[in-house]
Amino acid sequence: MSHTDESALAAERTGTAQRLASAVVGVGLVTFVLSLLSVARILTEETTLLGVGLYDFLALGALAMGVGVVVLGVGSRTGAFETNPDDTPGLVTAALFGVGAFVVAGLVASQTLGLGTLGWFALAAVSFVVALFAVALTPEDIGSTLPAGGVAVGAAALVLGDVLAPGFAWEPVGFSATFTGAMVAPLVLAVATLVASWAAAKAYEGYGSRGRQTGAYLLVGINAVGILTVLAGLLAFIALKGVGPATQGFSLVPFEWPFVTNGYSYQPDIVNGVYPAIVGTVWLVVGAVITGVPVAVAAALFLTEYAEQGRFVGAVEIATNGLWSTPSVVYGLFGYAFLVPRLGGSTSLVSGMLVLGFMLMPLCLITSREAIKAVPDEYRDASAALGVSQWETIRSVVLPAALPGVLTGVILGVGRIAGETAPILLVMAGGLRDDAPDVLGSFEFTSAAPYVANDALLQSAPALPYQLYATITAGVSAENAAEFGWATAFVLLVVVLSFYAIGIASRIYFRRRLNA
Amino acid sequence: MSETKSIDPEMTDEPRTTTTGESDEELRAEWTAYDFEGDPKLSVDGLDVHYGDEQALHDISIEIPERSVTALIGPSGCGKSTFLRCLNRMNDRIRAATVSGDVTFEGRNIYEDDIDLVELRKRVGMVFQSPNPFPKSIRDNIAYGPRKHGDVRTGLLAKLTGRDDAAREEELVEESLKQAALWEEVNDRLDDNALGLSGGQQQRLCIARCLAVDPEVILMDEPASALDPIATAKIEDLIGDLAQEYTVVIVTHNMQQAARISDQTAVFLTGGHLVEYGDTDQVFENPRSQRVEDYITGKFG
Repeated sequence: MSHTDESALAAERTGTAQRLASAVVGVGLVTFVLSLLSVARILTEETTLLGVGLYDFLALGALAMGVGVVVLGVGSRTGAFETNPDDTPGLVTAALFGVGAFVVAGLVASQTLGLGTLGWFALAAVSFVVALFAVALTPEDIGSTLPAGGVAVGAAALVLGDVLAPGFAWEPVGFSATFTGAMVAPLVLAVATLVASWAAAKAYEGYGSRGRQTGAYLLVGINAVGILTVLAGLLAFIALKGVGPATQGFSLVPFEWPFVTNGYSYQPDIVNGVYPAIVGTVWLVVGAVITGVPVAVAAALFLTEYAEQGRFVGAVEIATNGLWSTPSVVYGLFGYAFLVPRLGGSTSLVSGMLVLGFMLMPLCLITSREAIKAVPDEYRDASAALGVSQWETIRSVVLPAALPGVLTGVILGVGRIAGETAPILLVMAGGLRDDAPDVLGSFEFTSAAPYVANDALLQSAPALPYQLYATITAGVSAENAAEFGWATAFVLLVVVLSFYAIGIASRIYFRRRLNA
Repeated sequence: MSETKSIDPEMTDEPRTTTTGESDEELRAEWTAYDFEGDPKLSVDGLDVHYGDEQALHDISIEIPERSVTALIGPSGCGKSTFLRCLNRMNDRIRAATVSGDVTFEGRNIYEDDIDLVELRKRVGMVFQSPNPFPKSIRDNIAYGPRKHGDVRTGLLAKLTGRDDAAREEELVEESLKQAALWEEVNDRLDDNALGLSGGQQQRLCIARCLAVDPEVILMDEPASALDPIATAKIEDLIGDLAQEYTVVIVTHNMQQAARISDQTAVFLTGGHLVEYGDTDQVFENPRSQRVEDYITGKFG
């Protein structure tokens, strides 16, 4: 052993061990991301990489990592690499491997060996204890690398040995689900590569507290990568499925995009589209913002600037939080039972606007209050000392300074309500239509009070999320329901992201104006 | 709402004793009478301020002469800032504060119910400890007060009705900035955000903003304490110039500063008592109170 007695002041980063550890982590990241993509079925077992089937490719990666990690551990113990390990990998690491051993032993005992209720548990429990103590009582370099290497090699062997082949299927008793090899294999490989990368990250810094720091950094960081992967995967998945049907008949010159500019005409030879639903969704959001945001901002101003901080404000706060966590279908039911009978008796666009406006209110109120509270009191003092009244101060100083924060609330709220389906189903639902709600064109002056009428507001209107739900589950459209649904989902995503983009752009604009 | 309880319930009932063991009666006999030529701009008589159960100021009586600089000095927590904020009723903005006593300005007690706070604060302006310009352009900062008071009319409606005061506003901004000795430094970037200025420039901008509403009295709460020595010197020069036209009352931590810039000095000591008030030279060179002498020579505080 050639452990340095004291940890070196400067970490050695150029040795063989460091290069090996970096390679393991690098392979691990690639394998991990590819595995996640396979779990999401964006990549499938039919894909081939470098002439090898995807799953075998992943398994080879895991195998290489496992071997690499074992070499790192053994190398440290035999003195080939200079390291500074603790006496034990720590109780948490030991417990993690213990739980892993419990699961593996339990599965093997019950599924492969066919042991009964008591038998599998006894074996699993013994494995847990053995693994726990075995890991806890070995020095850190061996204790954290050998089990991790074992996990990686074992997982790789299962896949390479065709035990976890894509054809594998397991239907546990009492479950109505079937676990297929196609899904389980990449999942097992993802976990195995994560564990092996973690061990390699510790080895990179020569174990000890510096090693654990790097290991934790890797684990935390890989979670962020995982989130990004999920988001990117979701977007890519929707886009892959939806772009095709959504761009049917698309041409740039002359500009034609039938899916976006057509309605649903039920006629042959004409591409059916979602134009009415896009218009409906945009009007919904506009109406909800007009009804919800001013009320919310005004209430936030009253609660923050005028009201005495006491029971009343507390009660309003509790009510706001309650409103925010109320399920959307309950809002919908309220709209159906209260608004619809009072607004023409049938589902209508205006009922939808109002219900979504109510849903928008609590979030906007909460975020606006925070934004107004964050405006420095110095501004209010300065304005008061100039003899400016409180309302003028709020209007000219407080509100402009709070505007970016208020906008953040509106952005979040619009993101939520634009995709809301349940309330729309109850208060606004219009089926697939050929004509879009013509809100601006329907304003009419009448000879009797109230002298203004708008028929479009009082009629049912389509909206993207509801239409998506209807086409997928209810089979409303006769042909190509699934394709039409994917295309609708893609357009809905684009519409919601456009609202986001508008909100974020205006927030940036107002923030710029505040800060020089 | 729960009633706030004092730690010592007898604190406000019994005659209060200070850290040095003197009672109210003894302190009242100290040297706060100050004879000066001319008229007082502000007269304070028997002013008490409580924050909840805590008494912050005890029976303050003082007359402040016009067109001069009056410095308020004293150790931390002696109530000098509280006193300053009583002069334009900024303490109204602190819910727990209760004020009793008279503050006479222009022959009226400003604590009467029918006093118009807008008018009072227009005429008794204030500059704060840390520079607090609005996150707006330099021009908008200066013009903020006059616009809100309707002294200059701008905007679409004014343009449509042909009563646009843009030229007058321009003049006012220039004049205020010149008075605050900032014009030379910013005249080419009036439309830039005021937060881009340096600390000293921001504080002079705040003074200019205060001057733009044409006050008679300017209250300054340690206006230079957040600034470097060069910026401080500029502010001090400025205060001397302002005293030609305005009545300046300035709170300062810095005794040398008070000695340099003020005509008369009031010394507050711990517990919220005004202990000595008089000509600055006399207070600093020949204080009548032993405690003030101890404070000024650095024996405590």
